Amino acid sequence: MAPKKNARESANAAPVVAAPALAPVEPAPVVKPAPTKPKASEASTPWDKVLINLYNHYIDETPQRTKLLDVFLVFLAAVGALQFLYCVLAGNYPFNAFLSGFGATVGQFVLTISLRIQTTEANKSEFPQVSPERSFADFIVCSLILHFFCINFIN
Amino acid sequence: MRSFLGVVTFLFTAVASAVSTKGNRLLVLLDDVAQKDGYAKFLGDLTARGYQIVYDTPRSEQLSLFELGERQYDHLLFLPTKVKGLGPKLTPNILIDFVNAEGNILVAQSSTHSASTSIGNFLAELDITLPAGRTGLVVDHFNYDTITASEKHDVLVLDAPEPVRDGVKSFFSPSADAVLALPNTVGHTLGAGHLLTPVLRAPSTAYSYNPKEQFDAVDADDLFAAGKQLSLVSVFQARNSARVTVLGSADMIQDSWIEAKVSRPKGSKVTVANREFAKALTGWTFQELGVLRVNEVEHHLTGDNETNPGIYRVKTDVTYGISISEYAWDSWKPYNLPENDALQLEFSMLSPFHRLDLSPVSVTKDATVFGTSFILPDQHGIFNFRVNYKRPFLSVVDEKHTVSVRHIAHDEWPRSFVISGAWPWISGIGATVTGFVAFCAVWVYSKPTPKAGKAKKTQ
Repeated sequence: MAPKKNARESANAAPVVAAPALAPVEPAPVVKPAPTKPKASEASTPWDKVLINLYNHYIDETPQRTKLLDVFLVFLAAVGALQFLYCVLAGNYPFNAFLSGFGATVGQFVLTISLRIQTTEANKSEFPQVSPERSFADFIVCSLILHFFCINFIN
Repeated sequence: MRSFLGVVTFLFTAVASAVSTKGNRLLVLLDDVAQKDGYAKFLGDLTARGYQIVYDTPRSEQLSLFELGERQYDHLLFLPTKVKGLGPKLTPNILIDFVNAEGNILVAQSSTHSASTSIGNFLAELDITLPAGRTGLVVDHFNYDTITASEKHDVLVLDAPEPVRDGVKSFFSPSADAVLALPNTVGHTLGAGHLLTPVLRAPSTAYSYNPKEQFDAVDADDLFAAGKQLSLVSVFQARNSARVTVLGSADMIQDSWIEAKVSRPKGSKVTVANREFAKALTGWTFQELGVLRVNEVEHHLTGDNETNPGIYRVKTDVTYGISISEYAWDSWKPYNLPENDALQLEFSMLSPFHRLDLSPVSVTKDATVFGTSFILPDQHGIFNFRVNYKRPFLSVVDEKHTVSVRHIAHDEWPRSFVISGAWPWISGIGATVTGFVAFCAVWVYSKPTPKAGKAKKTQ
């Protein structure tokens, strides 16, 4: 227990120091809306700007690993949607295959979401005892159990 | 020496039992043993067919149908007697016991003798009703013999009987244009029981009356029966295949009538076929005709060698076969279904899941194999292969073979990769797993950059 706490304390210490450096980045989104207003009159709708703004913010502010997670989540959502669409169109026979195929994707999605929650810096306070390495190991173990179960069940 | 005796005994029993499937001991009951001379031709035919006939009277002291609980005779023939009751040796109960012990009874009646109470009550047990006073005379003013009964019209001249309905074997018609003469006939009516079958029914113009009490006119209220409801010859086959026959006219098998020449009104003189008819009637009653035997029952998985397995799996293809022989006079012959009749197999658990017609598959020297193939129902449990074949004039066939039907075992279902419909979902799992592996690889490879670390710090 003790070493862990120490590690976290040291990690916490670093942000405190670095915070002023990043401060100018934070207001960037606040600054951007101001120029959007004159542009809004030129563009057809302010929604474009909102979306672009959101996108830029995401690109700039999200850690690289979280982006990777999001890409994987989008991929899983697409695979799950395809499987569900096939079930709707072609029928659910054999049902165990549908359950395990769709369940594997949904389960993987849920596990990945969990990993994302646990590794997001903003949630650090929620999981004081879970380091990113630990959550990634959990993620791998749970995923392997899920895959094992689904492959068994699809027979 | 001993083996030689054994062979002789075997041959003797083989010859002796060749006559009937149920044995050849026949007891004939009449008023006076001397009366048998009147039936010399009829009884001679029976002897020639191998019956060992014992003659006795109901009054006889040593008469007993059972000895130490076993039947002493295989068949019983009642010729008309004058006595009112047949005594303590032939009560209706004993006659019923005789039938229950698979003994066959032929009752011949005549309007010149009223039937005994014992016979009347015995027939009432079988739902056969005799006229009031157990006597009566059937007359027909259109189908009578002009030679002997031009005044009284009490000798009926009838065509040989036809089967009462479709799909029934015809045992009692000697030939298509055969004619029967029935003098002094007592008619009877039949109840609704399905074990009863009329062989010869009165023509629609006949009626029954009591010549002693209704000699001048028959009141409609007192009429016993008329037309087709009046049966002249009827048979009863119990569920144990024992047979009881009621012959309304004993005179037709007397020597004076068995080969007489008769003539219908406006008809020519013909010789009656009473002898052939009597032969068929006794042959059927004493189980020389219409006896079915099930030789073997075989069921197996189609394409499998194991015979009669105790357990099957649901939805498998099963072949069933039953081998049936029919006894005809002196030998077992392959059984042929009558037209418009079907031998059916039931595959049942409480109620039939399948009821299928069996068709002849192969015919051997003495048996026909009926068979069919079908797919077991998608229901597990204890099932019966049952052939329940009960037809008029044929002995009962009721074969029941129990088998278990189990459900599909876990490792007997088709694998998903065999079913093409499952391929998209299999590839869904594949994509998920591949994506997972790739993600893990990239995740491990992408060490958080200092910049990302800075970003973390701000949040």
